[in-house]
Amino acid sequence: MRIPTTDGRLLGTLLKIQSDPKASPFSYSFPSRAMATPTQPENGITKLTNCRLVRGDNLVFDDLWISSVTGKILRSQAAFYDGLILPDRTIDLGGRIVSPGFIDCQLNGAFGFNFSTKFEDMSQYDTQLQDLNIRLVQTGVTSYLPTVTSQASDLYKAVLPHLAPSGAARDASSGSESLGAHVEGPFLNPSHNGVHNVSVLRQAHTIKDIDDMYGPSNTTPSTIKMITLAPELANMTPLLPTLRSRGLVLSLGHTAATFESASAALLAGATSITHLFNAMSPLHHRNPGIFGLLGATSSTLRPFFGLIADGIHLHPATIKIAFHAHPAGCILVTDAMHMAGLPDGVYPWTNGSSAECDHIVKEGAVLHLQNSETIAGSSIMLIDCVNNFRRWTGAGIPQVLGTVTGTPARMLGVEGVKGCLEEGADADLVVLSEEEGELRVDEVWKFGERVFEKGDGR
Amino acid sequence: MRLIIREDEEAASLYVANYIIGRIEHFSPTPANPFVLGLPTGSSPLGVYRILVERYKAGEISFENVVTFNMDEYIGIPRDHPQSYHTFMWQHFFSHVNIHPRNVHILNGNAPDLEAECVRYEAQIKAAGGIDLFLAGIGEDGHIAFNEPGSSLASRTRVKTLAYDTVLANSRFFGNDIAQVPKMALTVGVQTVLEAREVVVVVLGARKASALQHCIEDGVNHMWTLSSLQLHPYPMIVCDEDATLELKVKTVKYFKSIEQVALAEGFEQTLPTSLRTANTNTPLKKPLPPPTIITNTNGDSTPATTHTHTPPESESESSPTIFAPQPTTSRLLRASSPAAEYPLRMSRAASPELELVPDRMASRIIGGEALRGRLTPTPKVEGRVGVVGA
Repeated sequence: MRIPTTDGRLLGTLLKIQSDPKASPFSYSFPSRAMATPTQPENGITKLTNCRLVRGDNLVFDDLWISSVTGKILRSQAAFYDGLILPDRTIDLGGRIVSPGFIDCQLNGAFGFNFSTKFEDMSQYDTQLQDLNIRLVQTGVTSYLPTVTSQASDLYKAVLPHLAPSGAARDASSGSESLGAHVEGPFLNPSHNGVHNVSVLRQAHTIKDIDDMYGPSNTTPSTIKMITLAPELANMTPLLPTLRSRGLVLSLGHTAATFESASAALLAGATSITHLFNAMSPLHHRNPGIFGLLGATSSTLRPFFGLIADGIHLHPATIKIAFHAHPAGCILVTDAMHMAGLPDGVYPWTNGSSAECDHIVKEGAVLHLQNSETIAGSSIMLIDCVNNFRRWTGAGIPQVLGTVTGTPARMLGVEGVKGCLEEGADADLVVLSEEEGELRVDEVWKFGERVFEKGDGR
Repeated sequence: MRLIIREDEEAASLYVANYIIGRIEHFSPTPANPFVLGLPTGSSPLGVYRILVERYKAGEISFENVVTFNMDEYIGIPRDHPQSYHTFMWQHFFSHVNIHPRNVHILNGNAPDLEAECVRYEAQIKAAGGIDLFLAGIGEDGHIAFNEPGSSLASRTRVKTLAYDTVLANSRFFGNDIAQVPKMALTVGVQTVLEAREVVVVVLGARKASALQHCIEDGVNHMWTLSSLQLHPYPMIVCDEDATLELKVKTVKYFKSIEQVALAEGFEQTLPTSLRTANTNTPLKKPLPPPTIITNTNGDSTPATTHTHTPPESESESSPTIFAPQPTTSRLLRASSPAAEYPLRMSRAASPELELVPDRMASRIIGGEALRGRLTPTPKVEGRVGVVGA
């Protein structure tokens, strides 16, 4: 008798994602029980075979053993020799690519829900957040930094506790996992505000100003993971070492910093640049500005940098130049607004707690303020950024996928846990197929369980 | 001895893989009566493993009721070291097929008591009912398993110090640093291999040609331990053309012709039926122990259980092939040995060992009594020849 291999199509029919978006798509049961080897009880282990694993800069034909019990990638050889364990089921992926789950470091909202929203009844916030997580994971984004734009202090204090890291329960049915909030503001330069409301922008003179703004209990990685700030304002640069010592990731953005002041910020503990080129001084050959940091001679000073590869925020050639200037620092972000995943149209946007109501026009992936040329974030999905980026840079698939997996994991200090397929890492996976040169998300696994499989008709 | 010669490495590997698959299928192993397979590591069997894996994935063979025993393992490197034979077997075979880990046996080179580990291993082979087919490779010096030149042909599973040549050759796997190369290994003995019901050896490439020549055309010699196969009733060597470079043309032609004639006549030289099928009438095999399920997947932990086999009631009688160490020839010729299971019963030529008739030319000369003394310069020697029959 052979160990039954679970054909993807067979599972697919049983794992239909329900059409009602409000209903949880996780009310399925795995059909493997009848197929498991009868002599051993269920151990929650799945073996993915006949697949190409993203390992470093290579695609490697290898098996991957994952456990839905621990939610991790197993040391398969040890499980076999020590645990005398065989997988419950073996899934033949037909040569498809297995990537670590994607990480989006800058996501403002999606599917109609904006993280920078305060409700009368904050339980409604949680409900919408849960719904977003479940739908977001189906796009391949298995963990992300929910991003709150420049807002008044009371909104931060109201919403941040809801955006804290959510993976502790290791519950696959919760969908995508927050790795902590990204606060994009309000310590930003009004001269480069983008669509941020200038009236809420502030300057920090002491660490207390920052604690007071977000709420003292939030300014640790237990809630906030990443802060975008303008280092040239007031006393910000001298405050950076303190923030860094708390484990926060400090990113330069919405800033008028020169090359010199930005370099000083990197020395003080900043490690990243938020949406490079946008909302900052452009490159000038005698005054390279923040972009010049990518050409720093000391590798310790070269920052990570976010790129919005939607074809609107940046010219493809610009993206290619930035990537080749510092491939190891390149991170793709969507900077998507809550209109992401919704049909085209005009959507009201209150910009947080401000009284006046603006409107944002969505045309495809493009968002701009009504009656204005100002770009108001994007509504692109990360997989589309990946495909754009691959097309524009000509980089290999492992390198391209690294910009949404291994590189953001390194920036966030979660390498070895997220963004890789090493033994012991979380079993957050995306199964990708190649169609006409485009990568397509076929399956998504979270904590060792399959949470999405693309239907044939979609 | 069967010598199967194929054009190249691929064809030779394919022959061996097909042969093993055929043996397992014909055997129809069950949990109570598993097929027991001895396995080698190294470059020679790589093609065989690859084809076995392909055939498993194609659904043509199952290893569910196959029990394996590996030949050897280094001492003193971690079990999951990239060069350990545990890792080799995992990467090239076990991870790809449906063999259950409780049916897998590999010597533990990190056992606290290595001697006890060897004794335990022999006992496990015995408890599994002996090995049905031992697949083997061969070193350039003709070694089988880690039985380096000079190993006793009656050796059993034991600690073996590696030959300097072997250490040197292996240093390429350890960053060319001899200090990193294990100097000792655990290995099954020559005798352990010879006790398998069948031995199949893969010999590939010109580098092995000299070893093959010594093992086939020369006598049994502990400097070429594979030559001990000449004492086994059912040995089969499968090689490629390159490996025959040192053989006599006559030898090659002979082995090729007998294979062709046998094929043409529809009478392939095969094992006797009693060895090829699971013989449930004879209590050769102990049923496998019930599966021990351990949910602990922590790689750092030591094996949580080992199989505790109760020793057979009367060890010497429970298996026709497994006995305490003793000289090869005497054991093979015993009434219950594999040799005795050969269908063509051996009838030994009558030899006049009791009555030796002194017969000398001088004694035939009529009237030559006077010459006897002169033609026998050393009467003492003459007398002794008469006694021992030389």
